[in-house]
Amino acid sequence: MERFNRDVYVAIFLLLFSGVMFWASFDIRQPDYGVLPPSTWPRVILGAFTALTFIYLVQSVKAGQDGASRKLANEPTTVMGWVRYWHNPIICFICFFGFLLLLPYLGMLIDGVLFVFALLTMLGGFDARKAAIHGAIALITVGSMWSLFTYGLNVILPEAQLFQ
Amino acid sequence: MIMDNVIAAFGHILHIKTIILMLVGVAGGLIAGAIPGFTIAMAVVLTLPFTFSMPPEQGLATMVSVLVGGLSGGLMAGILTGIPGTPSSVATTFDGFPMARKGQPGLALGLGVWSSFFGGMISAVLLVTLAPQLARVGLEFQPWDYFMLVMFALTITASLAGRHIVKGLIAGALGLLVRTVGEDEAVGMARFDFGTETLLQGFDFIAVLIGLFAFSQLLNDVRDRDAARTSLSEKGAIKAKIEHLAAIKVIAKHWVVIIRSSLIGVFTGILPGAGGSVANILAYDQAKKASKNPEKFGTGTPEGIMAPESSNNAVEGGALITMMALGIPGDVTAAVMLGALLMHDVVPSPTFIAEKPVLAYSIFIAFFLATFFMLALQSGMLRVFVLVTRVRMYMLAAVILGFCGIGVLALNNVDLDLWTLLWFGVLGFVMRHFGFPLAPMILGVVLGNIAELNLARAMAISTDLTLFLTRPWSLFFLIVGLFSAVFPWFQMARGKAKWALWYMPMACFAVTVPLGMMAVQNNSISRGVIALIVLAFGLQTLWKRHQGGWKLEAYEGRAIGE
Repeated sequence: MERFNRDVYVAIFLLLFSGVMFWASFDIRQPDYGVLPPSTWPRVILGAFTALTFIYLVQSVKAGQDGASRKLANEPTTVMGWVRYWHNPIICFICFFGFLLLLPYLGMLIDGVLFVFALLTMLGGFDARKAAIHGAIALITVGSMWSLFTYGLNVILPEAQLFQ
Repeated sequence: MIMDNVIAAFGHILHIKTIILMLVGVAGGLIAGAIPGFTIAMAVVLTLPFTFSMPPEQGLATMVSVLVGGLSGGLMAGILTGIPGTPSSVATTFDGFPMARKGQPGLALGLGVWSSFFGGMISAVLLVTLAPQLARVGLEFQPWDYFMLVMFALTITASLAGRHIVKGLIAGALGLLVRTVGEDEAVGMARFDFGTETLLQGFDFIAVLIGLFAFSQLLNDVRDRDAARTSLSEKGAIKAKIEHLAAIKVIAKHWVVIIRSSLIGVFTGILPGAGGSVANILAYDQAKKASKNPEKFGTGTPEGIMAPESSNNAVEGGALITMMALGIPGDVTAAVMLGALLMHDVVPSPTFIAEKPVLAYSIFIAFFLATFFMLALQSGMLRVFVLVTRVRMYMLAAVILGFCGIGVLALNNVDLDLWTLLWFGVLGFVMRHFGFPLAPMILGVVLGNIAELNLARAMAISTDLTLFLTRPWSLFFLIVGLFSAVFPWFQMARGKAKWALWYMPMACFAVTVPLGMMAVQNNSISRGVIALIVLAFGLQTLWKRHQGGWKLEAYEGRAIGE
């Protein structure tokens, strides 16, 4: 286990992934027509992918702990430390996830403004002045973008079901 | 015939709406280029959704304008604040910032702006002259050759990851795999849909590109909580006026630097995967080596600004040459441009210029015009570009993530595209964290279908797999691809392992075989001469190694030349 650096775990994960995809490639129906069966090209790629991942695994095991790929400064080892370290990307992910879930109900304009405002506030902090600035930024940027697509480019963006 | 096409292309580009869009595009590109952490590729990717409802000529002209603007935007921030706006302007700060601090910011800016302009013009001329010639060569390509060309493009892009080439190749294969999800284009069978309707549609590749490149980059940019809340630069109140006349006089004196650096830029752009970030350092290095006063580099010498700025603007001309002539993107931004063409149902291939001449000439003209717009706008909007560096990264990230959402949904009005954006954004972020380069994956996503279609065509013509080895172009790309895959190990082994002494002669001998085959099959004297020159170079290198007693030290003196 001493030789196991994080690259080894990534390589093992990738090998499992290629195994699943290989398995799934047997579900691809083979038609009676056409020279190149639809499963051939994905299997060629998966073959190369598996071979490369195996090389990566061997390289990573040989490299040991010292040869692990670039680690970021102060990267934590505990779960809470990990959450603190990746706080902002996690916030972005959660906000975007919420934006997608609420999109059918609030529509692009309201949901977009709320998303940008929420993200600005969570990343930049909250006080009255900041809230006003963040609100203005969200309203102006999303509003102008929504107007450009709706009226300038005639693209129909989702409307709010909640108010219909 | 050519004149008719040129006139028709001018008709598209000189339309008032297109001109306005191009001006906005150049201004947007300049601003994006000025913001550290906001890459040119990200700016071009984010422009894609806006061009969806435009005619192809207008859409491509807008994207070319963003590209040209972005290439030059980095120099303002780099010279005045010492923080390069884009990786392509890193070398500009080496001498630009010291010159500005010595009290000559106007001259430094002038040199940067005019070098960018001349670099762009030289590459535009080469684009117009070389692309159609290269396309003629491309017309010789059959499906076997085209398939191998795609494989070569992926290999050489992955090889830029240096000692992490295996990770680069894994990323490239992953990109190819992503494009296989959904119905296959040849016979319409479902692949990797896992029984769901959503996966049956496949991933929209524009959403994949925006997710992989823009979304993941933004997550990366706001990772540090404190850095995300501080301004990118506090030096927003710098007052400077561009000294145009003085700059032109200096450039006229050192015109060789501009020509050499522009050629370096174009050549770097032609190579798949290598972009402005490589070209500006390479051109700076060459300018320093060729200078009579190399010791002055780093203290504010004019050549130190001219070389990187002319080369990074010349890169895109080179990248567009391969994209338009062969359908293979020279770098990530050209890959996005290729994506824009595909979005408008235009499949770039060697026949692109012949089949869509008006669109091709529109791109040429847009490239020329955008370079002039860049010159005018950089002079007029200097303060805006400096002020923009005062923006806080978290604000930028939140607003751009909102833009990503609206833009991606606007493409097809399909919710799945937004989920694609999110998951591929997270995937890109994780890949960056574990040191996997994204460029090969993006190229894999863009070229995946092209590779498969050509493989299917090749198999439909003949099931004989040896054709991949017996056709000259296919063999050529296979050999060059294999040697480029070994190149990172060769670089590490240079001067340390004896096998590295064999690398260059063997590469020359191997390449001679397909070149000779081409000469014989086509009765081409020029290709025969090229084959003989390459063979002679290989033999000469081998002879020198032999004379040196196959000692590693004997090799070191020639390392750079090779």
